[in-house]
Amino acid sequence: MALRAAILRHVRLPLQTAPKLHHNQPHPCLASFRFMSSHDDHITKEQVTDRVLAVIRDYPKVDPSKVTPNVHFEKDLGLDSLDTVEIVMALEEEFKLEIPDKEAVRIDSCNLAIEYISNHPMAS
Amino acid sequence: MSNALKNVKVAPNSATLAEARHRVFDFFKTACRSLPTVMHIYNLDDVTSISELRSTVASEIRKNSHVTNPKVIDMLLFKAFEELKNVVDMAKQRHHIIGQYVVGKQGLVQDRATKDQGISPFLKNFYNSNYS
Repeated sequence: MALRAAILRHVRLPLQTAPKLHHNQPHPCLASFRFMSSHDDHITKEQVTDRVLAVIRDYPKVDPSKVTPNVHFEKDLGLDSLDTVEIVMALEEEFKLEIPDKEAVRIDSCNLAIEYISNHPMAS
Repeated sequence: MSNALKNVKVAPNSATLAEARHRVFDFFKTACRSLPTVMHIYNLDDVTSISELRSTVASEIRKNSHVTNPKVIDMLLFKAFEELKNVVDMAKQRHHIIGQYVVGKQGLVQDRATKDQGISPFLKNFYNSNYS
């Protein structure tokens, strides 16, 4: 951080309008101007899905063959509400999140969990 | 520690069973969030894992799941918070944690340290029986 501040204080760039770009394909020499930004560094939905399914399969009361991305914890897997809370806490630990109570109550099934985690900016 | 304010949660009486249930889930979440701290301060990494401790806490809660009187649930929660506070404040010691929460129904600590992975199945089953 100190290096970045030092560079920003001392480097002067000539004033010019940046060329118009399609934002998915950064111009190769302009890509380096934002090499310290984590703006595009989000976890992908496939990674979220894989990790969520792995967490649910590792839960001892769950039959791993029944786990699909659409499975409902209480109806399909036969868990009770305490097990659901435990799975949500396991997901919090896996993705280093802290899910507030109002959202955690809503997470009843696997696809809701995947959707919540993919939309969370701090999921890692 | 963000979960260090457990002494604030003194029990007002729950009006309904639903409110008591909500407080039980709050307790469970507080306990789960303090598990990494517990694993660290008691050096439990070679004996158990966070998910096993979480399952142990859940099964202790489930032992009392038949209770329907909200005041009894409040009393149990009070004792649970007291126990959690003792564990997190390191008022207990490692052998207490292992004996009460890790050595479960199977009666023996499962070997998880790397030094034990090479030992023979004979030695692993030694405590169970001479003849297996």
